[in-house]
Amino acid sequence: MQFFAEQCPFYLAGILMGLLVVGMRWTGNLHLGALGSFVATQGFIARPTGAPSWRVLFLVGTAGGGLLYGLAAGDLHPTFANAGFEAVFGAGLATKMVILGSAGLLIGFGARMAGGCTSGHGICGVAQLSPGSVVSTATFVGTAIVVANLVLPLFARGS
Amino acid sequence: MKTRVAGLLFGIGFGFWLCWAGFTRYEVILGALRFRDPYLWMMFGTAVVTATLGLRLLRRSRATTFLDRQPVTWSPVPVQRAHLVGSAIFGVGWAVAGTCPGPVAAQLGHGQLAALFTGAGIWLGIWLRGRVVARELIDGGEPAAADGAPARAPRPSPGACAEA
Repeated sequence: MQFFAEQCPFYLAGILMGLLVVGMRWTGNLHLGALGSFVATQGFIARPTGAPSWRVLFLVGTAGGGLLYGLAAGDLHPTFANAGFEAVFGAGLATKMVILGSAGLLIGFGARMAGGCTSGHGICGVAQLSPGSVVSTATFVGTAIVVANLVLPLFARGS
Repeated sequence: MKTRVAGLLFGIGFGFWLCWAGFTRYEVILGALRFRDPYLWMMFGTAVVTATLGLRLLRRSRATTFLDRQPVTWSPVPVQRAHLVGSAIFGVGWAVAGTCPGPVAAQLGHGQLAALFTGAGIWLGIWLRGRVVARELIDGGEPAAADGAPARAPRPSPGACAEA
């Protein structure tokens, strides 16, 4: 469907995300946070006693949503390619492995230390006006902006 | 069981939304960080306003949850050092990879296989953080769980709604 192939208008995307946060809380005081779902999944795999928690299912669902989108937009073509990333760092599987793996390490370690990521702190926590989340969001946004504008251009081929 | 089903359905919605909004694409994230593409910021602003209004409405109307009829509520979390340090580390990784945990999961479902590398890194990073906390616990004299996983956080969890 061409409708889904186009990027969702920002206001619709924003409203939908806001409603998702509200909907989850209204359903069962469920916190929308991807990092927490990763942590829960890792914990479950380490000790698979009983059924997986809703956060594990949330993570599975997130991947499923990606699959569903691929079907809806008609762009389900599994590949290691990543045009945007390659324009900056160059093509090559080893490059992706090293850079994405290292960056992932920082993402996982840092987000767990902070107790949340862009969804948990950035959207959910900020909407709740939670000081910890507001400060976390300001920090990771500020840091990311500095890295993207001052550090990356030094190392990357593209700009 | 119902909570698990809800989790799955909400997750599907989240993953679909992430792809549709373009957040599984490197250029959308970096475009925002480099101030070339305002989409992320405008979406974020709209989402926060929507969510804030919606949550306020729910609390003011004393709404109760569908699953267990508890009052819809949340508790603010005070700022801790871990918020600052952790978020700074996370921010570096986010800018380099152009993605974060949620989009990584969506990318995997969507067939963007490079997310396997990012995801593996995130997995390891999460695990390492768990080990660091466990070691602090042992040095503090508290026993860690038998398999090395942290028994309890040494201080209140920094998560807004306890992620870890």
